Amino acid sequence: MNKTWLRLSVCICGLLLCYTLPVWAEPVQEDPLDRAVLEIAKDLRCAVCQNQPVAESNSDLAKDMRQLIREQLVAGKSRDEIVDYFVARYGDYVLMKPPTERAGLLLWIVPPVLLVTLALLSWVFLRQRSQAPPPPAPVLSAQDQARVRAARGQQDMKMGTKKKGANTKKKKDNRP
Amino acid sequence: MFLSGFEFNLVELGHFAAYLAFAVAVVMALAPAAAQFFHRPELARVGVNASIAVFVLTTLGGLAMIHAFVTDNFSVQYVAANSNSKLPLFYKVSALWGGHEGSLYLWVWVLTLYTMLVSFHGRRHYPDRLPTILAVQGALMVGFFGLILFLSNPFLRLFPMPPDGRDLNPLLQDPGMVFHPPMLYLGYVGFSVPFAFAMAALITRWKSEYWIAHIRRWALIAWGFLTTGIILGGWWAYYELGWGGYWAWDPVENASFMPWLVGTALVHSITVQERRRMLHAWNIFLVITAFSLSLLGTFLVRSGVLSSVHAFAVDPGRGAYILAFMTVVLTVSFSIFLARGRYQEAEEGMTSMLSRESMFVWNNVVFTVAAACVLLGTLYPLALEALRGDKITVGAPYFNAVMVPIFLAALLLMAVAPLVPWRKANPERLRSRLLVPVALGLTAGVVMLVAAWPLHWTGPVAAALIAFVTGTIITDYARAVRQRRVQHPGESLLRALARTVLGNRRHYGGMIVHLGIITIAIGLTGSGLFRLEKSVVMAPGEVVEVGSERLRFDGVRSFQRDNYFTLQGQFTLLDRGVVVLPERRRYPVQEMPTTESGIHSTLWRDVYVVIAEPVGQGNQTKWGVHVYVNPLIQWIWGGGLIALFGLGVTLTSRRRTARDAVAATAAAS
Repeated sequence: MNKTWLRLSVCICGLLLCYTLPVWAEPVQEDPLDRAVLEIAKDLRCAVCQNQPVAESNSDLAKDMRQLIREQLVAGKSRDEIVDYFVARYGDYVLMKPPTERAGLLLWIVPPVLLVTLALLSWVFLRQRSQAPPPPAPVLSAQDQARVRAARGQQDMKMGTKKKGANTKKKKDNRP
Repeated sequence: MFLSGFEFNLVELGHFAAYLAFAVAVVMALAPAAAQFFHRPELARVGVNASIAVFVLTTLGGLAMIHAFVTDNFSVQYVAANSNSKLPLFYKVSALWGGHEGSLYLWVWVLTLYTMLVSFHGRRHYPDRLPTILAVQGALMVGFFGLILFLSNPFLRLFPMPPDGRDLNPLLQDPGMVFHPPMLYLGYVGFSVPFAFAMAALITRWKSEYWIAHIRRWALIAWGFLTTGIILGGWWAYYELGWGGYWAWDPVENASFMPWLVGTALVHSITVQERRRMLHAWNIFLVITAFSLSLLGTFLVRSGVLSSVHAFAVDPGRGAYILAFMTVVLTVSFSIFLARGRYQEAEEGMTSMLSRESMFVWNNVVFTVAAACVLLGTLYPLALEALRGDKITVGAPYFNAVMVPIFLAALLLMAVAPLVPWRKANPERLRSRLLVPVALGLTAGVVMLVAAWPLHWTGPVAAALIAFVTGTIITDYARAVRQRRVQHPGESLLRALARTVLGNRRHYGGMIVHLGIITIAIGLTGSGLFRLEKSVVMAPGEVVEVGSERLRFDGVRSFQRDNYFTLQGQFTLLDRGVVVLPERRRYPVQEMPTTESGIHSTLWRDVYVVIAEPVGQGNQTKWGVHVYVNPLIQWIWGGGLIALFGLGVTLTSRRRTARDAVAATAAAS
């Protein structure tokens, strides 16, 4: 009786261990060549797709290009050589990051130039504005002044004795 | 048989309603001019009622289209092209904006909605200028209705009627895509309201004190919808496209991002005009630019110019129309701006180089440059191909290299600016207030540098700036709460915390938006710099390890659902015992495969699994599997929600301006 129990519990333990087996199993490794292919394919454009790198596209062309990259890597070519190979074949179009020469030059010059120009302009604007005498306070027309007086009177009447409140409000307004 | 020819078809009613709406829009656009010409001022008021009529008519048209979709009326060409009898009802409704014609209709529908709201709002607040504002909106409607009715008409009928439809693009059969376009359009078209105000102001020399507070609200609402639309788009791309990312700097995405950048500049710079009565002309420029970029976004996405410059030339009708329409809008609005833009001079000067207003000017520099760079990167390849025939790609690596430093500069401003007071800052006090946040920032940067070494330079800089901004906001808030507790000694801490925010909703709402943006920045930094990925080939039962995550591949099964076949892989996250189920779907009507990624999210990381193609045959079949571990990615969506909440807080503030008070008392007396 006792023995059967023992056997059964050993069996159960064994079964439980089986469940955990995959935890101990050697994990699947990524093929380093695959990774190298993808690292290069990330920076190349799939020519038939809309703005998609070769690494992410499922199109036939992208598959062919990944195969080409793989073959060249196996043949011992460096990353630069492979990229140059594709540029020679497809032109700068194939580079996800435009080159800093030829047609791509403008793209890299304009942003910093624009930033510096706008910053300088703003600096000049701020300086001018802060040194110029403040523009004269606009003069209210007689009609407007009457309206303001009427409004003030109303407000004071509403506030009654709370004249102090009205004063702080005026102060907050802070306009000349 | 004979009778069926006479069957009452709701679509034709909708079609008729759309034509009527077009006519009413023409009336609206011409009403103030007619009033002037015939010296009959009451004619101008026609536009106010017309704005309601045009919305009702456009809604009739839209509902008729939705009815056609829901009842599978494949005699309508657009329904036949974008729906299918097996399509779930939810997607039948949203299929209205699944294609070119319908999404343009949605655009104009949203425009009529905004116009009606403006007319309700304006009747009380600015009745004398309302007709001109509505005329500008009406002119825009005429332009879009012209395109819809004459060049891309969703109501067109098909004969003979096909037995079934060609189905909605499977990629669009996703909840994210149902809400993304309406939100985006509510944002795009929302900028038409400030645009109409600015045009009306320029034409009628309307002093900006009277309208700037109104357009601030409209601009904030548009900004909120645009933000929602962009984030939903990123969320959709993340869940649906299966490449582990959410933003690819695709021209379509850039199209929505440019108005967002200019809109962000605008909502900041409007404050300067409200508080300090400067930058009038610049704000009008920003308003016009934000709306122009919204139009450009619609043009880029809808004209087909993006797939190829040549594709655009092959079907010239629509593309040329949109281009011509945009040219007219740009030319007219900028001409009016150049002629009249300085109708109102600044009424106050800059007191100091170091002041809140100067900080807002720097904010505008940063966001304008950001928008210009996105514009350059998006249009340059098109221009190059059209002018010189050279083809060049401007992809994500370019935009990341250019935009990330600009965003970091924006973060720096975000950290400093809220501490700088209006008019003139006291450098001593500013320095003492910056001390704690700067220390926090430096610590965060150094910690990041040491903990994650080696990493890209943007990592520690971003971490430092994020901590800096957070430190600024929290210390600023704490100072205000402390001050409040001194003034109201009996108050509980909780009440003081709440009262401080509620007492200045506009400021603290903005700070909550900033916290939302900071949360997004945390998500972007985490997922951008620390993403792990593996592409492996697995047989059922095998385990893959990515970072500290272990995944077991349990196998695949295939089955059929409503309108597609799916192949579902099952993976178990061994450390948690959670199952994720990535799918590969095939929609038989369009013969199009789509991927559904299997995602397990926690606050700290997403495990993102995509099942790719089978390798080998029969029993030996293995499967290509891509696994990504995306740290902190949920913070991006969460940050979006925080920002929207903050925007809501800001919008609930209703400060009566001194001018309103004067007007009210004058009216009462």
